[in-house]
Amino acid sequence: MKKAIALVAVLLLSAAFVFAGGQEEAVEEVGKVKLTMLAYKDLADPVEAANWQIVVDTFFATHPNIEIDIEYGFDEPFHNKLQAMFVADQLPDIMFLWPGKRTGQVTGSGKIKDLRPWLKGHEDEFAAIAVAAQGRGGEIYELPEQVTDCHVMYTNEKLMKELGLTFPKTHADLLAQGAKIRAQNLIPVAMTNKTQWQMQSCLLSALTERAGGMDWYDRVIVGDNASFADPEFVNALSVIDELAKEEMFSPGINQLDYGQALTSFVTEEAVYYIDGGWRANNMVGELTDEQKEYVEYKTYPDIPNQKGTSGSTASVAGTGYGMHSRLEGAEADAAWEWIWFYSGPVGSAIRQGFGANPAYKMPTPGKLDIMVKKLIKFVAETPAGYVIDAVMDAEGMGVLHPAIQEMMMGKKTPQQVAEEYEAWVAANDTSRK
Amino acid sequence: MTEKSLKRVSYTVLTGPAILIYAFIIIFPIVFSLSLSFTEWSGLDTPKLVGLEQYVRILTDPVFLHGLRNILLVVAVSIFGQIPLGFVLAYIIYRRLIVGGRFFETMIFLPITISAVVVAILWNQIFSPAGIYTALMRMIRDDPRYVLGIFESKTFAMVPILFIILWMYTGMYMVIYIANLQRISPSVIEAAIIDGATEGQILGRVILPSMVNIIFTTAVFAISGSLKSFDLIYAMTGGGPAHYTEVIAIYMYVNTFKYYNYGFGSAVSVVIVILSLGLIGLIQIIFRRFERMYEA
Amino acid sequence: MSSEIRQKNVGWNLAAYIIMIIFTVLTVGPLVWLLYSSVKPHFDIIRNVFGLPKTFYVQNYVQAWNLAHLGILMLNSIFYSTVATAITTLLALAAGYGFAKFKYKISGFFYFFFIMGLLITVHSVLVPLFVMETRLRIDDTRLGVILPYVAFGLPFSIYLATSYIRGIPDSLEAAAVIDGASYLRIFKDIIIPICTPVVATMLIFSFLANWNELIFVLTLTSKATLRSLPVGVLAFAGGKTRNYGLQFAVLVIATLPMIMFYVFSHNQLARGFAAGALKE
Repeated sequence: MKKAIALVAVLLLSAAFVFAGGQEEAVEEVGKVKLTMLAYKDLADPVEAANWQIVVDTFFATHPNIEIDIEYGFDEPFHNKLQAMFVADQLPDIMFLWPGKRTGQVTGSGKIKDLRPWLKGHEDEFAAIAVAAQGRGGEIYELPEQVTDCHVMYTNEKLMKELGLTFPKTHADLLAQGAKIRAQNLIPVAMTNKTQWQMQSCLLSALTERAGGMDWYDRVIVGDNASFADPEFVNALSVIDELAKEEMFSPGINQLDYGQALTSFVTEEAVYYIDGGWRANNMVGELTDEQKEYVEYKTYPDIPNQKGTSGSTASVAGTGYGMHSRLEGAEADAAWEWIWFYSGPVGSAIRQGFGANPAYKMPTPGKLDIMVKKLIKFVAETPAGYVIDAVMDAEGMGVLHPAIQEMMMGKKTPQQVAEEYEAWVAANDTSRK
Repeated sequence: MTEKSLKRVSYTVLTGPAILIYAFIIIFPIVFSLSLSFTEWSGLDTPKLVGLEQYVRILTDPVFLHGLRNILLVVAVSIFGQIPLGFVLAYIIYRRLIVGGRFFETMIFLPITISAVVVAILWNQIFSPAGIYTALMRMIRDDPRYVLGIFESKTFAMVPILFIILWMYTGMYMVIYIANLQRISPSVIEAAIIDGATEGQILGRVILPSMVNIIFTTAVFAISGSLKSFDLIYAMTGGGPAHYTEVIAIYMYVNTFKYYNYGFGSAVSVVIVILSLGLIGLIQIIFRRFERMYEA
Repeated sequence: MSSEIRQKNVGWNLAAYIIMIIFTVLTVGPLVWLLYSSVKPHFDIIRNVFGLPKTFYVQNYVQAWNLAHLGILMLNSIFYSTVATAITTLLALAAGYGFAKFKYKISGFFYFFFIMGLLITVHSVLVPLFVMETRLRIDDTRLGVILPYVAFGLPFSIYLATSYIRGIPDSLEAAAVIDGASYLRIFKDIIIPICTPVVATMLIFSFLANWNELIFVLTLTSKATLRSLPVGVLAFAGGKTRNYGLQFAVLVIATLPMIMFYVFSHNQLARGFAAGALKE
């Protein structure tokens, strides 16, 4: 029996040791508002981390009465955690949210406060798209930190000059350049399409607006006398289909991880490169000073039967922080202090210094990197439609994306893809209900 | 204390802690998940009872069926690839048929020490369109657009993954077999050699019969591990392109954590358990035969 | 062994060497590439993925270590892996002895109950487990991490232990019982020493699984001070920003200790193997 007692004692001891490690209760301080926050931040990125540190330090220095316990998440694990918290009814006081469908389940649950009463009077200080309705009743659940243009056709003008090319006016012109570019062992259009969002966010969204125009786009979302099986959407898909058939994309585009196409653009193995405007951040660090002079921001050329706006991109209000609906009084005010600080003038100025393009309207300072300056100009001048995966359900993208991949590999026609997607949307998408 | 009650108390002390911890952690989630599989639930409000609807949806979904086909391929590679190969390697090292067995043993086991995510990153650097193999082939074939076409074939896209799985986990079986081979008393083998037995006879008559049990054990690991395989494939291909490398665990993960269909996701995990049980039952029948054969 | 038998096996030997060498090259090649790439700056990596480093850019390591607070993550990894592995292995041996040698009928039920655990996917229990831990207020504690590690490690270890102990001849412990030794004493003095080879296997597998585990520690903890190395690895992989230099450095930091642990413990345990074999 002695051994048994020893065994149990060892177990208890280790358990006690373990308990001791995890539970340190913070000492309450009088007059302080304490909040919890789930932040979305890639702390491993040196630029992001430095930027964030300044934002946080400045906030706490100017708001000594507020204490925020911050937890960090990034990418898929962030969403897993948010989801687990949501199901367990353990959402924090402040959390990072998306304006569209990505966190739609959380924002639509009634557990997130409408920020409009606090924002009142400040709407004009933001880009119009940033303060557009996020909920069905016009609610604004999070205050966008920036406006994101998801489609940019980055262009290497030096390579074009060497090849004797000018930027194509139409889709057909672009296809016609393919042979000449490939003859030099170069990639015409560098892009990746392995994971589930790049093709939809960065190219299909813009093409959908081009093919159908905004009036049709508005109607197809809700299913008002328009469907994704219409010739408009088939036309948009056909453009991608032809680009794939004509070998315009990076070889093996459907197996390429996000980021690998950027590498071939930076190393000047590709003439054009399609990605989001946020890539300006990487360009700042990865292009040489000389390259920055001749890399330009363009959009996809005109497509056949174009009904939408020439030269348009696709744009979405950015992410930002929102608060739990349980917060009242001093706690809610404190949470707003943070939200306003982050996306309002002070936080925006800090983030702009690191290459971001804030939703809060502010003058462009002179010392910015040239790639950021070009982006700001691009965003200001370029008309924009919706980003398809921000307005349609994520689960539907799980139907659309593999179908597009099969189309690109020659196993499906654009018509089939369009019909398959429409069938899913008609039966399931929350925008149609 | 009487002998009988002493035995009972000892049994409780020995097995009790493991059972308690295990039950404490496992029971609630399992019951939760099992009951959810008969409902439709997105994490909000109360789950809606839908009977067997989720199961019907799963079994009629072509994506699931392709995932099932792929996972059976993984099971096949594990049972007919990793286990025999692992055994052969273990045998070679155990019988000292080569010099430097200990070095090779370390090398073969090494992949297991690396997390699946790291392995995926490393292999993608080799076989992806941006990898070293592709770069080499582009040079040799003088074709700048060369890519490994096998990844874009619905039929064969799994092959490179199966190859990596074989490379990665064979070492695990090898180590388990070596541990069990050590248990065979050397004197038995020496006696066989003195009797003039050949290497083949030693293997067939002395070693294999005492290994049947552990080979069955590892076959169970192979089945359960294969049906759950997630990390490596998710990090390598994410199930793509176009679901070609889809496996059931990824299917379950995506439906639960990306689309928030908890009922559906739970039903998929129940299907995984049922499939595993079925396969293990099958293996058990086969091994009973073997055992009888050796007993006879 | 006589030289005669050796000669018969030349063909065997050649095949054996070929398989062994293929495995070795496949394993060592990518690791060597990873190792030297981790001392190249990001700028050089993207311009020449396979080129040898021009300089020894240690900055990757310094920066990765500081940015992701790898020091605390490393300590946590060591803590979780050691504690969970020790508990799992001890409990599994004890339970395995109980299941294998005490001829109680209920053992069959418990054993089956554990084996079922092998079939459960981690993701299917993630959300209910989180719900349960928050209700019990053990989420965001070290205990809340260790308990699932032990619970999910037990099925595999119990399976290994039970099938191994079953193979031990009853005569050995029967003699001890006649001597009047208590069961717990038999466990300590006879079973554990005989089990040395399988204990080695159990320790290695359990430690590896715990060391590389990501999804539990990520979901069940919030405080940065409670997290482990795979969280650090994850921070550098994927996402919209990228720095391959940092990513490779952190991969080396997370992988190397495990390789060293294995090579070291393997040699240590090999002596145990020999000892275990002699005792029988």
